Amino acid sequence: MKRRINFKSSDDHLKKVLNNVLPYDLAVFYPTLNDEKQKRLVNLIDVKKLTDMFPELYQADQLNVLNDLSKTRKKEFYKWLQTDDLKEFIEELNHDQQEAIIAELPAVKAKTIRLLLAYDEDLAASIMTTDFMTISKYETIKEATNKIVTQSRNQDYIDTIFVVDDDQKLIGVVDLKQLIIARGGENLEDIMMDPDHAVYEDEPIEKAIQTVRDYDRNVIPVLDHNDYVIGIVTADDIFDEIIESSEFDYQKMALLQDHVSDSTALKRSSQRLPWLMIAVVLNLLIASFLSMFEATLAEVTAIVLFQPLILGMAGNIGTQALAVTILGLHLEEIDNKQMPKKHVLKEMTVGFINSLALGMSSFVVVYVFLNLIPTGQQSAFDMGMVVFFAVFASMFISAIMGVLIPLTLDRLDIDPSTASGPIITTINDLVALLIYFGIATLTFML
Amino acid sequence: MLKEMLHSASNRMIKAYLEDVHAHDLAAEFIGLDPSEREKIYRVISNQKLAELVSYLEAEEAAEILAEFDLEKQKTLVEMMEPDDAADIIQELEEDEQESLIAILGDTADVVQLISYDEDETGSAMTNLVVVLHPEMDVKQATKKVIKEAPDVETINTLFVTDAAHRFLGVVQLKDLLKAKTPCKIEELIQQHPFVYDTDLITQSLEAIRNYNIYEMPVCNEDNQLIGMITMDDALDIYQEEAQEDFERLAGLPETIEGPALKTALHRLPWLISLLALSIPIAIVTSLFEEVLVAVAILIVFQPLILGSAGNVATQTLAVTLKMMATNEKGLIKNSYREIITGMINGFVIGAIAFGMTYVFATLNTSLAMTTHPLTISFVVGFSLWMTVLISPIFAILIPIIIRVLRFDPAVASGPFITTVIDVAALFIYFGLATLLLGGL
Repeated sequence: MKRRINFKSSDDHLKKVLNNVLPYDLAVFYPTLNDEKQKRLVNLIDVKKLTDMFPELYQADQLNVLNDLSKTRKKEFYKWLQTDDLKEFIEELNHDQQEAIIAELPAVKAKTIRLLLAYDEDLAASIMTTDFMTISKYETIKEATNKIVTQSRNQDYIDTIFVVDDDQKLIGVVDLKQLIIARGGENLEDIMMDPDHAVYEDEPIEKAIQTVRDYDRNVIPVLDHNDYVIGIVTADDIFDEIIESSEFDYQKMALLQDHVSDSTALKRSSQRLPWLMIAVVLNLLIASFLSMFEATLAEVTAIVLFQPLILGMAGNIGTQALAVTILGLHLEEIDNKQMPKKHVLKEMTVGFINSLALGMSSFVVVYVFLNLIPTGQQSAFDMGMVVFFAVFASMFISAIMGVLIPLTLDRLDIDPSTASGPIITTINDLVALLIYFGIATLTFML
Repeated sequence: MLKEMLHSASNRMIKAYLEDVHAHDLAAEFIGLDPSEREKIYRVISNQKLAELVSYLEAEEAAEILAEFDLEKQKTLVEMMEPDDAADIIQELEEDEQESLIAILGDTADVVQLISYDEDETGSAMTNLVVVLHPEMDVKQATKKVIKEAPDVETINTLFVTDAAHRFLGVVQLKDLLKAKTPCKIEELIQQHPFVYDTDLITQSLEAIRNYNIYEMPVCNEDNQLIGMITMDDALDIYQEEAQEDFERLAGLPETIEGPALKTALHRLPWLISLLALSIPIAIVTSLFEEVLVAVAILIVFQPLILGSAGNVATQTLAVTLKMMATNEKGLIKNSYREIITGMINGFVIGAIAFGMTYVFATLNTSLAMTTHPLTISFVVGFSLWMTVLISPIFAILIPIIIRVLRFDPAVASGPFITTVIDVAALFIYFGLATLLLGGL
């Protein structure tokens, strides 16, 4: 949204203009302003709007905003800021900063934040918010509607309400829509749904993502083991989680780390160099190791022609198997608790068929190639056979590695996407070349 | 669970179970059933639940199921589904089945309008069932309208406001409507709200939904008339699909298919074969340098290092570039410039490492023929590596841009094609430099 905002105008006018800008756009706009203008903006806009803009800012800007806020506005700000947004902001600060902010919070909120911070970041409970409403099952539909309208706080999520019994246990959920269209004579219990789609506080974020996605819910409750609702996870937070995890996978696959569009060239270099350096060093070690085949290489010149072919084919089939397995693990299609025999067997069969097919095709390529462009002293047929065996064996091994390595990593609780890193690729290269040069040596040198 | 039930339980119990179970869970069990078991379900299930069940199946499978019913029932089911789900399924029907169903649904049906959109356009993912209010309505009148229309729409948490010409003006939150006391007109409650256009790329709309944290994103046509909305749950599903596609493309995978091993293998084979074909030009280029390779055979063991590094760097730049293109992010030129500088820096560093390591290795290992010219060979390796890593990002940026200008999908063609071009260029640099410095030996 490109809009000029004139900061020369009066406070009243500026306030009006700013309140017509959406929170996200304000957050994009904020860093482009100088200190004085930032301060004016923060103190002029609606506090509610500020609470929506705040989570979208970078940390340095967030701290700035808090510094610039007047005392009364700050109090209001903390009151209205969604608990999960507040927690997320505090989580990233250092210990002293955390304590300073928590000290400024109202007592109840401070306690909630401490509680949320205690959850491990892999747990669904770590992304929950505590701004939701429960109603007792004894209330009539009219009372319930009234309560929601009059008692909900601004930041509360009220599109879905949680129904509890005498012991405060969750017994059902009601969408506001159901409440609005319910007829006079109906009870809450008539219109509520079973609370099946919930997560427990010690269940992982993945469970929450899956539940929201599979059952098309906009919100799911987080329960403790007494079935008390201790928080809710909303679909917008789930959306962020899904985006984060799929971008993470994508970047891992592309050997990138924490890439953001606006990082400078130097930043990009320093992020990517470690992986590249590891790859280079490993490759050089391989090279020094393979130099033992120097005699074969000098004798059989045609070897070099098809070296990229073999490495490429082994790499491609390995990447395919790897990607299918990582995707499967992340979409929870492969249940790694039991040995995912079916998946391994299937990928092995696929690997076998394609390795064989590609090996035979490679034979044809080599045979025709060497007849058209004769290279070296060896017969085209022999060279073709060497390449056939090398392609077949190295592709098959690479395909198996592509399945087994991520599965093993997953079992060891290491992120399976690590397998797309250069170490595995280099090991695959080494295996492929050993096979290739080895078979060539056996065929032509003995 | 359902399977056993179909064989033992009474129809009444099956019916009760079917009405109770969530359609997602039902769909998961349904795919494991054989035709006679499915027949049993059809006999007792309500149309409403059947429509839900079909919506939760994969579109292809859903289309097969739908086609089993007569046209009249197809129509009933389609009308009970959310239009965006129905549109996905209808698009998977055989052409003649599709035509006859569309004919009976009529041109003005919501679904039929959705089908006219391209798959990557926002319009294809929207639902056109929304509650619309007008600014001059009183809150009482508006509340009545909401209550009346609520059962037909997915959600009423956000209510959309348009003028008499259907132009989108903003939204009213249900919460505010309920809190307001008559007399009060809708225009007093109206909030400004972002919206997207039906012809916007779906990826752009998803980005907007994410940035603005919107559960119901209004969709307008070019005249700013409100024609539908995209809900958060659909956004989640679409994002997941898109992300999976991106990932698969990067990995050189054609679309994932479920099926027996042989079918899967055949599905992935064409791709592998085309990659094999791409290695032929590499072999041709290499054969041009036969002379120097015979003389200095040790050059061969460093070839994977150079091609591999070039490939790694190209993949990194390509991933960044494709991502930017897919989301239509601005700053492609600035990004390209940064990627090229990055390549220069990284190339220099790893080139230097390679030079150093090769030299040490060559001087230590005296059994090798290369020890006669350790410095020259190390220089050839290090310098070629630097040059290759420097040119890789340039190709990885230029090629997708050219492919896009030629109106192909950059993501499909780029990966293997770029690697081949870079490999060829890298070989010319490496063996060329070697011929220049070592050729006369």
